[in-house]
Amino acid sequence: MPWNDPRIFQLLSLFLLGCGLMGLISRRTFLGMLISFELILNGAGLNLMTVDRFFHQDLPRGEAFTLFIMGVAASETAVVLAIMILLFRRYKTIEEEKLRGLKG
Amino acid sequence: MIGKAVFWIVVLLIIVGGLGACLSNSLIYAVLFLLLLMGSVGGLYVYLGSPFLGMMQILIYLGAVGILLVFSVMLAGPFWFKPKERGGFLKIGIGFVLGLGVILVLWKGISEYEIRIGPERVSQVDKLGKLLLTEYALPFELVSLLIVISIIGAIMLGILGRKKEEKDALE
Repeated sequence: MPWNDPRIFQLLSLFLLGCGLMGLISRRTFLGMLISFELILNGAGLNLMTVDRFFHQDLPRGEAFTLFIMGVAASETAVVLAIMILLFRRYKTIEEEKLRGLKG
Repeated sequence: MIGKAVFWIVVLLIIVGGLGACLSNSLIYAVLFLLLLMGSVGGLYVYLGSPFLGMMQILIYLGAVGILLVFSVMLAGPFWFKPKERGGFLKIGIGFVLGLGVILVLWKGISEYEIRIGPERVSQVDKLGKLLLTEYALPFELVSLLIVISIIGAIMLGILGRKKEEKDALE
């Protein structure tokens, strides 16, 4: 059965990490960067679950930490979206290259 | 047989969703591809022997984060300003090289481990609940506290960001 091989799952989580990094660097709007960050978090959760299933047998610690990742990701998304809507109201743009207020 | 076919379909959906979410030029399509990917990752959790986490993934990511993202894409309304979604060729190149490099380096590290495949795992929700309430009670409470703080913070940001006349109209 293919789902008894950890390499498929680990390769998929690596793929999600790579896609997230590429999107995080090449996108220009904050929303796009947030989407890429969600990709990275999903990859991290998948990796934790894989390690928990294949290399660690007694207690489901990986599942617990995947749940923690989900909670942290949800709260982080809420805060970032609030900040982004605030920025959009004030500066009328969400492109990161035009928001130079913190550069001094 | 059907299980195998469904597994490969889920893997294919994850690849399509990841590529679409990082390469698509329109934000709303990127969000939709991200939703596809999150649902498929929930499917993979079922194959990893934890249907509970699969359901949690669908509930939290598809239900909460996805709706939040879709609403904010529509409310922030960058469509009629049409910001350019991609950086220059330099940024795309750096991103591509960095992503591919990280994948290759980590894959080299991973593939040298010997593979041990344990017995088939059945769902362990009871152990998970005990773990969360005994050994990991402190992180559990901290995550709850973090969620409360972030909800209050998001509301405060929304209120403080209004102009004065909007505030007066509210009161």
